[in-house]
Amino acid sequence: MTQNVKIIEIINLDDKQLVELSKTNVLSLSLVEMKEVQKYFKNLKRNPTDVELETVAQTWSEHCKHKTLTGNIEYTEIKQGKKNITKYSNLLKETIFKATKELDKPWCISVFKDNAGVIDFDDKNGVAFKVETHNHPSALEPYGGSATGIGGVIRDILGVGLGAKPLANTDVFCFGLPDTKYSDVPEGMHHPKRIAKGVVSGVRDYGNRMGIPTVNGAVFFDEGYMANPLVYCGTMGIIPKDKCFKKVNSGDLVLVVGGRTGRDGIHGATFSSVELDKESDVSAVQIGNPIVEKKVLDTMLKARDLNLYRAVTDCGAGGLSSAVGELGEKTGVVVELEKVPLKYEGLKPWEIWISEAQERMVFAVPPEHKNEILKLFEKENVEATFIGQFTDDKKLVLKYNNEIVADMDMEFLHDGVPKPTRTAVWEEKKSVRQKKIDVDSGVLTQDIKNVLADINVCSRDWIIRQYDHEVQGQTVIKPLQGNSIVNSGPSDASVIWPCAVVKNTDKAIVLSNGINPEYGKTDTYKMTASVIEEAMRNAVCVGADPEKLSLLDNFCWGNPNKPEILGSLVRATQACYDMSKEYSIPFISGKDSLYNEYSIGGKTFSIPPALLVSAMGVIEDVNKTVTMNLKKEGSFIYLVGVTNNELAGSVYAKIKNFAEGFVPDLNKKESKKIMKQIHKAILDNLVLACHDCSEGGFITAVSEMAFAGELGVDIDADLIKISDDTMSLPEILFSESNSRFIVEVSRENSNKFEDLLKDCCYSKIGKVISEPYVLLSSSKSKIKIKENIKNLQEAWQKTLQW
Amino acid sequence: MIYEIAIRTKKGFSNSHNVSLLNDIKIMGIDGVENVEYFPVYRIISDIDDKKVSVIANELLTDRITEEFSISKYKTSEEKETEKNSIEVWLKHGVTDTVSESVVKAIKDLGITDNVIVKTGHKYCFNGSGITVEKLNKIAKGFLANTLIQEYKIR
Amino acid sequence: MVKTMNKPNVIIVRTAGTNCDYELQTAFEICGANVDRIHINELIENKDKILSYDILAIPGGFSYGDDIASGKILANELKNKLGENIKKFALSKKPIIGICNGFQVLVKMGLLPEPNKFEQTATLSYNDSNKFECRWVYLKTEKTDGNTKCIWAKNLPDIIPLPVAHGEGKFVADDTVLKNIEENNQVVFRYTAYDGRYPKYPLAPNGSFNQIAGICNKDGNIFGLMPHPERYIYKLQHPARQGCDDKYGWGKKIFQNAIDFLK
Repeated sequence: MTQNVKIIEIINLDDKQLVELSKTNVLSLSLVEMKEVQKYFKNLKRNPTDVELETVAQTWSEHCKHKTLTGNIEYTEIKQGKKNITKYSNLLKETIFKATKELDKPWCISVFKDNAGVIDFDDKNGVAFKVETHNHPSALEPYGGSATGIGGVIRDILGVGLGAKPLANTDVFCFGLPDTKYSDVPEGMHHPKRIAKGVVSGVRDYGNRMGIPTVNGAVFFDEGYMANPLVYCGTMGIIPKDKCFKKVNSGDLVLVVGGRTGRDGIHGATFSSVELDKESDVSAVQIGNPIVEKKVLDTMLKARDLNLYRAVTDCGAGGLSSAVGELGEKTGVVVELEKVPLKYEGLKPWEIWISEAQERMVFAVPPEHKNEILKLFEKENVEATFIGQFTDDKKLVLKYNNEIVADMDMEFLHDGVPKPTRTAVWEEKKSVRQKKIDVDSGVLTQDIKNVLADINVCSRDWIIRQYDHEVQGQTVIKPLQGNSIVNSGPSDASVIWPCAVVKNTDKAIVLSNGINPEYGKTDTYKMTASVIEEAMRNAVCVGADPEKLSLLDNFCWGNPNKPEILGSLVRATQACYDMSKEYSIPFISGKDSLYNEYSIGGKTFSIPPALLVSAMGVIEDVNKTVTMNLKKEGSFIYLVGVTNNELAGSVYAKIKNFAEGFVPDLNKKESKKIMKQIHKAILDNLVLACHDCSEGGFITAVSEMAFAGELGVDIDADLIKISDDTMSLPEILFSESNSRFIVEVSRENSNKFEDLLKDCCYSKIGKVISEPYVLLSSSKSKIKIKENIKNLQEAWQKTLQW
Repeated sequence: MIYEIAIRTKKGFSNSHNVSLLNDIKIMGIDGVENVEYFPVYRIISDIDDKKVSVIANELLTDRITEEFSISKYKTSEEKETEKNSIEVWLKHGVTDTVSESVVKAIKDLGITDNVIVKTGHKYCFNGSGITVEKLNKIAKGFLANTLIQEYKIR
Repeated sequence: MVKTMNKPNVIIVRTAGTNCDYELQTAFEICGANVDRIHINELIENKDKILSYDILAIPGGFSYGDDIASGKILANELKNKLGENIKKFALSKKPIIGICNGFQVLVKMGLLPEPNKFEQTATLSYNDSNKFECRWVYLKTEKTDGNTKCIWAKNLPDIIPLPVAHGEGKFVADDTVLKNIEENNQVVFRYTAYDGRYPKYPLAPNGSFNQIAGICNKDGNIFGLMPHPERYIYKLQHPARQGCDDKYGWGKKIFQNAIDFLK
């Protein structure tokens, strides 16, 4: 033992002591994993240093290795009393990844390999997309946690291939209810509204300062997220095709660029291995500095285009240990830790190695470019320091002032983690129809306003307008849409036309998403199918080709050691496989965040499972994109798709307080047909406006189209195609069935439009009028509604004005 | 020597930050506070002379159109005077202060070459008939300071 | 960089936190200029370099993170390190534009409203709404005898739409300074309702005194504005796809005016 390292006794410990050691040192390694480590060092006939033990803990962590999704799972499905057992040896490989592999799309450049998924854009460029979560830190420090969340995913895009230029950000949040009573918030936790405001500000300040427009997102409020907010941050970037791959050669130098290293993020919020006193540093939460990251972005793209480095990756979870460890996996690497630039004195070697200090990128630089690359960074005040070299002995060797503090085989580090085996179980729940809902015109009108004002439907413009969604000047389909500049409605998807980066192009990139934890409370398979289709529908509405989309999956789930929770996760991945194959669109990247639960009063609560599906596609002609606001008086309104009796998990069910009903299902064949034909219609310039039905049902969507366009609608609700004759009018209007689009078509084009849709289920249900009212009548139900669009817009805008 | 420069909005100019702070206090259900004033505070730790500190305050830290500054000076924190009915929030030792790095650079750009350490903080002064230490604690913990990375002082 | 003869040369100054420089470069290039985006360190190393250009542009962004106040640190740096040559450039009547963060820099440096004085007499302060505002607004082009004296805004329609995106865009000055600006016809753009009437929030996005969105100096060559014309070069960038012609947006005219002025 020296002043730099501690030797940790492990080879003579018994099982109980191994578990205790993992706990004390906050390694989060299971007994099986600890025994694997013990075996390795027993073979070496020595005990590990603290640096070595921390390195293994980081590399083998759930976050870095996705042990659950790639481990052994024995899954039991119980349907109608019958049990069906499936054994997975790698859930991810056998579901999501399998679909992508089987589809083998030629336009996928790099999937599930690098820091982001990359697909073709045009002959010279690809586009990359990554979505990450940063949940736990955001619960502790909402502003800092979420800021570093977006900072981290931006670095993923900087670290894909040889570096992509970020073009857009997305953000999706799940928070507790903002009107929770202060007395109901557990001790030591922040109030949900404070978390929400902090998170919005954190992502805003970081994204705005980086000059990347935040263009797409969602917010979902539910008491289940009170203690465990979810913060999904995504970044999309563009990258030259010849810069999509990295290569590390033995002899290349290790260069760390950007921020300095401190104790940020070590072991999360608990800091049990160091004595805390007034003088010692307490920073366990990462603090971000977007200007440093912007400087790195500006300079590294210059270095990329001058071919000054051969590989790059970002320092994220696990800090240098992950970044350098990954780059050096095939070659081996030696690092001199005393060379790493520090924020302050006193860091031990292991702290330097696993610190999660922000804004750092690691490069593999050919020695002949050593001076040139340093000069380039120095010119714009970006710190860049060589800290080591890639070798050829396939070992990870760390030194501190010439003393070896770690010496391990890369193979053990990367492939040595034992696979956990878990059990999962799912039992089918039977649903029953809700009691029929019958209300009069007055109540129905109020219900419409209440649904528009619902926290999960209402306008998010208070949030959206704090994010610069126009910077770079490339956002042509914006998150809020409308005719005149004051009025607006919610956009389904956003379109980025990269005219400043790719000269003379007509192509554009569409980004959309789908999330709805409400459905998951009943069945995560159906939830997954719905949100995948929702992401696709949203993209199709603005003009995307449903056959050319790519998907990202981001799972936020509870504790996978609980069989029911793991079972619901398995259901979701099965749906991912099925949908991906059925629609023939691949998943190109994904992430998971598990163990989102909290304990209070001896009980543990897991979050409602939340799967975020993000979609990205390339649009061939940016001129053939469509917004959702109504455009022309006199044009016809079509509702394409069939409305089923599917109100379970709906906003209406929440407002009317009933728990029965059927969760929306998905008729994949119909869905495919409809989306294909809608896309054709848009390409043929037959569509004036298009909006899909989701939360709040048909009536919410058509109201949004009306007030965004400052035009009225006159609708005969009896013309809506339904599958269940027993449905009452409110059930029809608020059902959240999938695969439905509201399309505005001019009179002149209506025949052509109907011809295109002849094999689909659709109905012409009304027309656009100049009087500013939503007129809806049903002679069957003897209901007549006339509501001024201003009142509807006001209801929609009032709720989230903080 | 430690210099503290507090920046206040001049009378006659509105400060939208103060308005929204007062609103947040009301939403928390705390009564008795009639108004609140927010001051960004810069702490300069250096052997620099007083005149230069004035230059920094005047030319760099204050917007001469809408703001004015006050400087207090002390050697140790025991000497420091704190206003009544106030909350001060500072980052805990070891937490990165991103603004301070910018201020240090800007001081150099002014042509001042002395060694300086800069820390940035926030001061809130409250006025009202019903202000108590308990209420100030609630406000501080409720939304002014995150005790994970910040510490606050109440008077 | 190979410079084409007879094309005006534009310098876009950038530093840590500058963001809108790429699209600003695109805007100038489409209008027929050569453009260099140059880091301030390079300009400080070679102080006369800036004088070799025909147009000076300070783009939008968050220079130095908006630390202390928006544009303050960059204004401080430019004034102390390059002040002499920037003043020379300004008084030589060559076109200068400061957009958003650039406008904040020009005002805090003292280059607007009176470059002769080169002292700060106005400011851009925090929005009344206390939040960042990203939205499109309508701007009224102030004209005297049918046109504005600002070379950048010549021959624009009475009302044009442009996007804003800022947290500190409230134009503030004392009565004397405001009076001078108005009397000397230095107001170029004012926030307005779509029909030209007095705008209410959010069409008045920040509470600027006299609804001022953009001003110029007495000679009309230095122009500072909070809205972003470089984000409305193409019709496609407008929320309803409206433009000044089939392809372009009104923002393009603003840059074209400066290029044409030099020809």
